[in-house]
Amino acid sequence: MRLSAAELVESREILPGQWIQAFHAPGLAIGSRAGQFVHIRTGDLSGMVLRRPFSLNTVDPLSGVVTIHFRVIGRGTEWFTRLRPGDEIDLLGPLGRPFEVDPRSQHLLLIAGGLGIAGVRMLADEAIRDGRQVTLLFGAANAREVYPSNLLPDEVEYVVATDDGSLGHHGFVTDLVPAYEVWADQAFACGPAGMLGTLAKQAVGRRQRLGVAKLGRKRGGGKAVPLGSPAARRKAFLQVSMEQNMGCAVGACLGCVVMSVTGTPQRVCREGPVFAAEELAWDGAWS
Amino acid sequence: MTTTPAAVDLTVDLGRGLVLPNPILVASGTFGYGIEYGDVVDVDRLGGICSKGTTLRPRIGNPTPRVTETPGGMLNSIGLQNPGVDAVIEKYSATWATWRVPVIVNVAGESVEDYVQVTRRLEGVPGVAAIELNISCPNVGKGGLQFAIDAGAAGEVTAAVRRATDLPLLVKLSPNVADIRPIARAIADAGADALTGINTLSGIALAPDRTRPLLGNIYGGLSGPAVKPVALRVVYEAAQAVNIPIIAIGGVTELADVLDFLAVGAVAVQVGTAIFADPTLPVRLVDELAAECRRMGADRPGALVGTALPTRTGMPSSKGVEYRP
Repeated sequence: MRLSAAELVESREILPGQWIQAFHAPGLAIGSRAGQFVHIRTGDLSGMVLRRPFSLNTVDPLSGVVTIHFRVIGRGTEWFTRLRPGDEIDLLGPLGRPFEVDPRSQHLLLIAGGLGIAGVRMLADEAIRDGRQVTLLFGAANAREVYPSNLLPDEVEYVVATDDGSLGHHGFVTDLVPAYEVWADQAFACGPAGMLGTLAKQAVGRRQRLGVAKLGRKRGGGKAVPLGSPAARRKAFLQVSMEQNMGCAVGACLGCVVMSVTGTPQRVCREGPVFAAEELAWDGAWS
Repeated sequence: MTTTPAAVDLTVDLGRGLVLPNPILVASGTFGYGIEYGDVVDVDRLGGICSKGTTLRPRIGNPTPRVTETPGGMLNSIGLQNPGVDAVIEKYSATWATWRVPVIVNVAGESVEDYVQVTRRLEGVPGVAAIELNISCPNVGKGGLQFAIDAGAAGEVTAAVRRATDLPLLVKLSPNVADIRPIARAIADAGADALTGINTLSGIALAPDRTRPLLGNIYGGLSGPAVKPVALRVVYEAAQAVNIPIIAIGGVTELADVLDFLAVGAVAVQVGTAIFADPTLPVRLVDELAAECRRMGADRPGALVGTALPTRTGMPSSKGVEYRP
């Protein structure tokens, strides 16, 4: 984690109200991994006292360019759209823990709901670089909100669902998942809380359905995998990138928590934003 | 980074052995336990670190959302999530003991006995420099605020903790009261070494569709530049009511804010919400304050304290907050 200045090199509205901005940030581009995020300060310091968190959408270590992808939802995101090439921003990152791909996984299923694409987009690049096969299931309200396929690597198989049926499957993106349950070695998702909750339920019992034999433990009982560890994510079929309103983004303010299965609040900014789905309580169990 | 001019003495003596290296502290709840910002802040350049609110037993805190931005500020409703005093001591005190910066543990509770128990456990722990009694958290159901809004209760909890410890004792004031002066006096009379304030102002924000309040706990505490005039007023009134030092907190984002709080009688300030936007601000303020003292020809910031207070020194009014047209 470090503070750095980054210069805007390109800014464009890729869909109505959705923007991709590219910044020259060489220091950030080298050490970052898919699933991590940055916390960016707005220029209006008297009115807007909080930074804005953005997933690292793409990172190019060669050119030192990183991109973010966001929807204009308020004064902060609106401020970003007024930035011009050459303008500098103040950026804190990389923050949070990345996705962990099991070295044995060949087939990666990425599932994105709407702007959730920004949370898994970089993982597609990393997976293809490492010689893996990637299928991206993408859900949106309608055809006008569908992520343009030309912004994806050619190698990605891209499957779309829309709520109104105006493009692709008529229904939710989660409807598409069972068909890929056998093919996928691991799944990685980002999107609305309801979508992630459905995916987490779908993932339960997958090994039994696939007939994966439950073998006895290795001698010595096997190693315990601590909650929140990279190993816990690497072992999981489904990893999710979570979102919460955020304050500091470094773990100090405890604003951005989600509840774990053990009843311990987990900081999205520090223990997350990527969690193994089975680490989290999905039934809204608080208090 | 500029260096502190040798001619300016920035230290602040709060009594009972607590000497802050400089008057710029970081506020409870905005700086965790001091380690979270370690990559980007040299903590040993700070005047003090007020820890996250710490209770006797672990607390999971309030449901989310817990924070939201508001014009010129933010609302938070963390609900005192913390691992409990024993875990805090075990996890962090050894690190604190290696720092030059004093760590002031913010203590919260639901009963007088809670505050006393937490304090007893902190007594004698290397690395714990002082205690800040959080009797003014607006985001928990039981306890918290109820001690801060009544002079009798505030005095009672302060006196009980005072009897339990020789540690320097700071008590944090709430702005959510009709008149701060009798409460400040009761806390001072009960043996507190210093007052801090203000804690956040109770407020709410609405969900975008206006069908419900936005925060999971409904109520949150307002902080940031928006509350600075309220903090300035509370410090102004408290400074005329008591003779113990006051550490001001509320919307500090630049040197001018620090100077304002010194002018109404504070001997030091805490930086809170502004850290989220600029973690390097507190250390920069230390340098800027030293430079300002030198510019003013002052050998210590104490010379800038109280310049805006009335010169008369009679008994403060007991008629409540005075609003002048």
